[in-house]
Amino acid sequence: MSTAECEQQETGWGILQDLPGDPMIWVLIFSELVAFGLLLGAFSVARAIHPAVFAAGQATLDSHLAGLNTVVLVTSGWAAARATKAVRNGQRATTRYWLLGAMALGCLFIAIKLAEYAEETGRGVGLETNPFFTLYFLLTGFHLLHVGLGIIILAVVCRRAGISGVETGTAFWHMVDLVWIVMFPILYLVK
Amino acid sequence: MTMPDSVDVTWIALIGLALATVLLPPLIPRALLGNALLLAFAALKGHRIALDFMDIRAVPALWRGLVASWILIVLLLAWLASALVALI
Repeated sequence: MSTAECEQQETGWGILQDLPGDPMIWVLIFSELVAFGLLLGAFSVARAIHPAVFAAGQATLDSHLAGLNTVVLVTSGWAAARATKAVRNGQRATTRYWLLGAMALGCLFIAIKLAEYAEETGRGVGLETNPFFTLYFLLTGFHLLHVGLGIIILAVVCRRAGISGVETGTAFWHMVDLVWIVMFPILYLVK
Repeated sequence: MTMPDSVDVTWIALIGLALATVLLPPLIPRALLGNALLLAFAALKGHRIALDFMDIRAVPALWRGLVASWILIVLLLAWLASALVALI
């Protein structure tokens, strides 16, 4: 048995060990990607079954506000990636600044999304309006919960600002970013 | 002169693609082509996030392949559903 194989056996995480951060976060990331993938798949299939309902529902959404939120979340992801670079260079204070920036932008994303929800519910639209809005609120609400959880995780790793913690927290944050990037055009723009 | 960081280049590319996602498709009269374009933009953005932000560029191909497959399957299904609606 080679030295590398011995080391892998000792850590117990096998090939997950090659990923940045705690391997356990990647188990969570891949589980979340499967869950979001199934929900987005269900949305696409439901669109094919109820095209008129989905077209009418989509026409009432504010795609410009959602586009602004894309810029906000992508910029937050950039700040998180910058934090990872800083922590690897041993710059603990700089790491914290970048993480605080990422968290602040995450909070801005939540504020914009809640404003969008307020406008929609103000028009009398809700979870039970039709299949489009059921899936829309389920998908965006589930994603919004992950944004909130991601901010909490970043806040926790920000306290110590160690390499493994920051890599772990930012990996989860980028998953949240990735899911929104894929979700945004499917929900708001695809005709 | 210092080279720009790959993370910064990716961020600028993502902002550009995000703006293109909102601004370009309405200018394309055919829905199928417009949908294909904006889903291709989403695939590009997702790929850059995975490689440069998630930092899986240097990890074994299995992990990059899993994330890339997730992006492609979800976006392809969305395009197929929209194509079905357009053709019926």
